[in-house]
Amino acid sequence: MDARILIVANSVYQLLTALHLRRTLLSGAQADLLLTDLIPDRDRLAERLAPHGLFTRVLRADCANFNREFAGQRDSGLDPAFQDIPRKLGWMVDGALGAYDQIYFSNFDPFTRLLACCYYAPACDFICYEDGFSTYVIDFLRPDRAPVNRHPEGKKIADKVRAVLLYEPRLAMRGDDLENHRIPQISAGDAEFRELLNEIFAYRPPEIRSDFIFLEQSFRAENIRTNDLDLMRLCRDAVGPERFTVKPHPRNTDDLPALLGLTHRYPAGVPWELSLLNGEAAHCTVITVCSNAALTPRIVFGMDLNTVMLYPLFEGRVLWKEDDVLRRYLRAFQLQFAGRNYFVPRTVYELREILGFLGGKA
Amino acid sequence: MNDPKVSIIIPVYQVEGFLERAVDSAIAQTLTEKEIILVDDGSTDGSPAICDRYAQAYPNLIRVIHQENAGLGMARNAGLDLCRGAYILFMDSDDTIDPQMCEEMYRRACADGDEIVMCDVCIHYVGEDRTSTVSTYPRREIDLADYIARGNNITYSVNKLFARSVWEGVRYEKMLFEDIALIPALVTRHPRIGYVPKAFYHYYRRPDTLSTSAVGATSDIVRAFELFLAGGNPRLRQEIVYCIAKQLLWNITQSRPLFQADFITFLQSHRQDFLLNPYIGSDARVKKLLDYMKTPVIPDRIICAHIGRPIPEAYRAEISRDFPYAELIEADETTFPAETLPESVREALRTGKTAYAEEYVALRILAQQGGIVLAPEMRANLNLKKLRLNTVFFGFEGQEALTAGCFGAVADHYAVRALLDSYEGACIHNRALLPLKDRLRDFLILNFHLKPNGRKQLLKHEIQVYLPDVLAYDMKDGENCCKRADLPAPEGFEVIGESALKMWSDRILENWALYKQALGKLPPAQRKSAPEPPPAAGISPAELERALDRRTQEVMAAYENSTSWRLTKPVRALGRIIHRGGKNP
Repeated sequence: MDARILIVANSVYQLLTALHLRRTLLSGAQADLLLTDLIPDRDRLAERLAPHGLFTRVLRADCANFNREFAGQRDSGLDPAFQDIPRKLGWMVDGALGAYDQIYFSNFDPFTRLLACCYYAPACDFICYEDGFSTYVIDFLRPDRAPVNRHPEGKKIADKVRAVLLYEPRLAMRGDDLENHRIPQISAGDAEFRELLNEIFAYRPPEIRSDFIFLEQSFRAENIRTNDLDLMRLCRDAVGPERFTVKPHPRNTDDLPALLGLTHRYPAGVPWELSLLNGEAAHCTVITVCSNAALTPRIVFGMDLNTVMLYPLFEGRVLWKEDDVLRRYLRAFQLQFAGRNYFVPRTVYELREILGFLGGKA
Repeated sequence: MNDPKVSIIIPVYQVEGFLERAVDSAIAQTLTEKEIILVDDGSTDGSPAICDRYAQAYPNLIRVIHQENAGLGMARNAGLDLCRGAYILFMDSDDTIDPQMCEEMYRRACADGDEIVMCDVCIHYVGEDRTSTVSTYPRREIDLADYIARGNNITYSVNKLFARSVWEGVRYEKMLFEDIALIPALVTRHPRIGYVPKAFYHYYRRPDTLSTSAVGATSDIVRAFELFLAGGNPRLRQEIVYCIAKQLLWNITQSRPLFQADFITFLQSHRQDFLLNPYIGSDARVKKLLDYMKTPVIPDRIICAHIGRPIPEAYRAEISRDFPYAELIEADETTFPAETLPESVREALRTGKTAYAEEYVALRILAQQGGIVLAPEMRANLNLKKLRLNTVFFGFEGQEALTAGCFGAVADHYAVRALLDSYEGACIHNRALLPLKDRLRDFLILNFHLKPNGRKQLLKHEIQVYLPDVLAYDMKDGENCCKRADLPAPEGFEVIGESALKMWSDRILENWALYKQALGKLPPAQRKSAPEPPPAAGISPAELERALDRRTQEVMAAYENSTSWRLTKPVRALGRIIHRGGKNP
């Protein structure tokens, strides 16, 4: 009998991986997809997904407020989150959840923990799938990492998680005991999959093409003080404003780089990975502090784009508790997987030299 | 004419103002059986005519030799070849001797069969209106070992009467400090030495003579010490070493600090002689010399890599003049086998980016042998010698940029090795064939926390980075050691990079402000009166402009030449201490 599975997606990137999993590792399963309201334009995506029949049902969950409310709570403040669970889920999800053998998820947020409580007794395994570098470097369930991991209900998910799916398991550095399994790479030449994604995401080629794309990260959304704007300015000056674009991070509420005149606006709603798959970024140089989206071309698609990682020049913490592990991760990536076009400048002068070498101003 | 008892040999060079005084003092010798040989060493002033006039006036007493300029020692040699006296006395053409000198010293020589007889020396410090008499030895009878160790005037040619036999097969070397090279060694080899404790010889010490000015050939002094050590009587080696040690200490600390690196190299090459010397061991003052032995010194070696371009003649001339003992390594693309070159260097050679390859080749030699890399477009000056006292040195050429035109290091230094190793691999410098100065800056920032601010800094206690005025541009502040010569400038002008010039202006203004601040704190009585304002009425704007310019120049000159630097020194020192104590940016 085919396994009954539920895949929860919280972001465009997760949805892309969910679709890929459905076509590869989970092709024989009876699968429901659950899209949360953390995904921008979630409802239209759900509508465009339905006709393709990839999933038995495409469910929607409005859990953003719930997650926000309980993400920072501790001890008894977490109690209300785990009370009356069936009713809470019934309220948040737009359809009845079924009986599942496996639930695939990416984030250990309160909503996923609620699901773990709900499916605690039944024989239902929870499988975590990749959501960027955090899945490689953070042991989300370590008791001392967050109060919710010590809460009697909140920590139940630890008993349920069986494995982690990663595009490159050799880069896993979380330090937990979970097994890591490989997700097959997405073939950049898989035209059928690309067309499917183009339809689902209503992909249109970007109107403005930049030679240098700076992938912003969600530091401001997480109230982390950094010098990322200075780095953007430095890069813009090194390559010229007309050839430079900052792709804003969706979690940052405003497009500050554009507001500050550092860049023209990057077309919203175009998934980065889809741009990659459609070859829009093949000619360009990707610059970022340490966004996993810059590693995606290599890890997920096997591409070797010009990539400039600025983390040695970054002032501030990327992760509150796992910065050192992240550095190890990035170093391991550089040593084991990065191609010849991967650059990690260690001084601003090197950065200018690299950008000059990659076609910026001499 | 019978052979004279004493030949007085006087080398003559550009001394028209002093020559007559010298010759007259020789003529006035009470010893009658004498000859005077004037050796005109290619003088271009009135000296040759004076010599000829004396020869004409005293045909039986004075002979003249005219020769191409060859130096003091060669002139003395010419006199030695011509002289006929049983004894020989040298005197310099700007000095004088007392009338009894030859007679008394000759008598002393004959009395005991001495081969060498010495006297004391009276030094006249020209321009200082003072004299001092230097006693050659504290006792009448010379104890040779004790004299070598503790005596005075040992290196002088001029306070000694030599038996002719002493000079058989012996001549001066063509060099500066030919006295030091030969005379003390001769003394050690001729133990029959007499002494007349009278200051017959009057040495007029002038501040601007060749022996007291710093020129490239001053390095001859080290060779002179080597020759003294090699030519001296081996049985007196301990005394000779101690004698040299005393002179070295004086040269290092007082007389010729610019040549300290040469002296230290000499010390290090005779380590066992100096470390095991009992005289030095028991002399607390001279023992300090041994501390210098621990100082690492960059080898006296100039490394010039030139690929596809010759080394300019002016470059060679500069090296010959100021660094006559330096080994000049001329390297090109064939210096190292092609298969040993990193891929990026091979690519640079393939694609004609020879500057990249030149820099690599020079760096590789530097890593192996140590020395100073000096690119063909650079011109060094004597001051560069000072930098040999570093372990490793580099210099800025602007606020953020370093120069790769001139830098140096001791052999096999790990930092230079690491820099060289960076040519392997796929870093941006190798991929983009970037100039060494970029690589160097990034390397020093990353590994040694260089602050790219154009200021002098010592990294990890051993890597010295200099201001742009030291190794890139001549700011006419006396600090320059090396500058670019590939950008021609009109006579009297210097080429300065924009960034360096701006830095310099900022620094002067900053110091001006500090000077004003310090001046403001002085009591009114100590302040200089404020400059008179230029007249404003009744003059044209152009005149006013000129007057203002003049006044500005005056103020600037006064500042440049004034006590401003001295006044601000404590403030700047305090600033540096505070800065060091503060958080690193």
